[in-house]
Amino acid sequence: MADAFGIVVYSNKGFEVEGLSQYRSMGATSFLGRYRLIDFPLSSLTNSGIENIQLYVNEKPRSIIAHVGTGRQYNINTKRGELKILFDEGNQASRIYQNDVHSFNYNRHRIEEMPQKYVVITTNYMLYTVDFNDVIKAHEDSGADITMMYKSVNCAKESFINCDVMELNKQKGVKSMHLNLGGKSNCNISMDTYIMNKDIFLAMIDQAVTTSSLYWMRDMILDATAYLDIRGYQYKGYLYAINSFKAYYDCSMDLLNLQTRNELFDKDLPVYTKTNDSSPAHYFETGSATGSLVSNGCSISGTIENSIVSRGCIVEEGAVVKNSILLPGTKIGKNVTVECAVVDKNAVISKVKSVEGTIEQPVYIKRSDRI
Amino acid sequence: MKASNMVAMILAGGRGSRLHALTDTVAKPAVHFGGKYRIIDFPLSNCANSNINVVGVLTQYESVLLNAYASQGQRWGLDTFDSGVYVLPPREKAEADLNVYEGTADAITQNIDFLDRNNPEYVLILSGDHIYKMNYERMLEEHVNNKADATIAVLQVPMEEASRFGIMNTDSEGRIVEFEEKPEKPKSNLASMGIYIFNWKLLRKLLIDDAKDTESVHDFGKNIIPKMLEEHKRLYAYTFEGYWKDVGTIDSLWESNMDLLYHPDKINLNDPNWKIYSEDSTSLPHYIGETGEVVHSYINQGCEIHGCVERSVLSLGCVVGEGAIVRDSVLLPGVKVESGAILDRVIVKEDVVIGSNAVVGSKDSKEVELISEDVKATKGGNS
Repeated sequence: MADAFGIVVYSNKGFEVEGLSQYRSMGATSFLGRYRLIDFPLSSLTNSGIENIQLYVNEKPRSIIAHVGTGRQYNINTKRGELKILFDEGNQASRIYQNDVHSFNYNRHRIEEMPQKYVVITTNYMLYTVDFNDVIKAHEDSGADITMMYKSVNCAKESFINCDVMELNKQKGVKSMHLNLGGKSNCNISMDTYIMNKDIFLAMIDQAVTTSSLYWMRDMILDATAYLDIRGYQYKGYLYAINSFKAYYDCSMDLLNLQTRNELFDKDLPVYTKTNDSSPAHYFETGSATGSLVSNGCSISGTIENSIVSRGCIVEEGAVVKNSILLPGTKIGKNVTVECAVVDKNAVISKVKSVEGTIEQPVYIKRSDRI
Repeated sequence: MKASNMVAMILAGGRGSRLHALTDTVAKPAVHFGGKYRIIDFPLSNCANSNINVVGVLTQYESVLLNAYASQGQRWGLDTFDSGVYVLPPREKAEADLNVYEGTADAITQNIDFLDRNNPEYVLILSGDHIYKMNYERMLEEHVNNKADATIAVLQVPMEEASRFGIMNTDSEGRIVEFEEKPEKPKSNLASMGIYIFNWKLLRKLLIDDAKDTESVHDFGKNIIPKMLEEHKRLYAYTFEGYWKDVGTIDSLWESNMDLLYHPDKINLNDPNWKIYSEDSTSLPHYIGETGEVVHSYINQGCEIHGCVERSVLSLGCVVGEGAIVRDSVLLPGVKVESGAILDRVIVKEDVVIGSNAVVGSKDSKEVELISEDVKATKGGNS
């Protein structure tokens, strides 16, 4: 068992899945038919034996609270462990004060009181699965003050835009960080995931709040490169930064590929989520699907191709859904064609004959919309 | 919910020997159904949905898996302050050696202490063998309105089949005047569903008397109900309308699975107001590959389909390889159908592997075939 507690914090830089983020926080964003993004970091933490987790939320907390509940579905023994949902209320003055360092400082005593030695800090928008024990082991072995996870990627011109790029020395020491503006294909992308001693974390927060009220985690890490031993830990598994609507769509389509999906979903690291007690998906006489992920509770009378269909969707006779993502409870009416679209929760498309985007520019249909 | 005054006791000890290899190592209530469920999920979910908080599950035959399964009350939401699922297998007692349950009534008699601890006003006796959705609260309301001593749920069966059931003959008020077990010449078509509500105080006394009766086989249908009629107790029939199936044979298990496809109007497991709850799993949504095709089927999560599936029910984590064809079949959890294999009208037991190009079952067969062991691959392509 790892001697660590976990922190899952909202992302900086104003990352959002345009459209979807109007209605819910990043963590509560529905993903791959039956998950929400928060399921991934929470499952990685509990799969690593980390049962004390602080979840920091900044806005629209309803859906995330309803989803995670007590955390029992993530395998947290709620007697020994706890999933704490934390907000800060001291920043009403302006949204610009809404940053993670402020949240940490506001809840400083909650961090202080944790009996564990280490803290693992992670976030919602970085999609990956990992056993943190390996990272903690590397952290201990290196004797570093802070260990940061990164991945060496060769697609930084198109992906991971505005994510942090880490400049490493030969000992994997972090020299500096800068934003990925898409200039170079090959670079080390920071996964916004940090492991450090709790006391170092607290000292950094104290330092940061006296420096600037607008500091984010990455700013205080950047300052700390001057006086702390910060090392990189190279992660080699599947990673995607879901930091825009396009990234959300592309990542989802990417994971329709079985091999890619197997990279993310490791048998030993299951991803837990809240059950919905839906029946298996029902394909009616005229219903069929190929190249798709289809969730329970769906009633399919139309044709599904190369798409992700979430729980409880209805696709009526003659309807064609292609290269699209249907969020839970959406309904595609008779003879409607939906191509390259993301249809948000409970939307009904029945009055128009077709909704068509392109792979490059998928369209977004609002939650509960009627079109 | 506030505790109700009725405790449910589910009789789940039977083997269901006509299910052959499916019940070699598990009791019938633990048999898989509908791609996602076990049979016992139905009475347990019905209890939860009927606001019954305390449910005893009486197990006996091959009970290890069933005990482990049923004891996880959170699956049905039966884990609140007042509620719980209590697994009650036979036990050794101070005054006697290990007593197995001799009959349905004896199973309750041996757990009088459990019922006394809960001290309910009413006891609901259920069987763990049937597929149906029923609101037991409605039945209790009638029981109370009739000031009945016992109420028996009945189903109207076709007259020509009535001689296969225990038949209740009632007066115009619905009061039971006669009970006939499998009558040659049935007088009515009201078949007992094996669902009873008793006033606990009265039943307790009847059970203690019955236990002393050396002639008795300690069965509700054979002993307790006839005895109550003899004593002119107030017994009422409660007519249930809706889908009900005893999935006691391979054919009826297959048919009931197919009813999910062909009669969603009769048995809809996707009704948000009356969900059937079950075990949760960490599987992904099911995946239909580029070469896969699914038509008119019921597919659970975790399946991976690269072949063709038609008019079939696939349970958790089944894999169908490229070029394979699965038609009119029921695959239980974890079945692997390798590439090019052809399945027609079969039930495949959990975790069985059908080797590539194997041909299993036949579309013309009268009876549905149960495949309970791995089938070897054969050479060559399919024809």
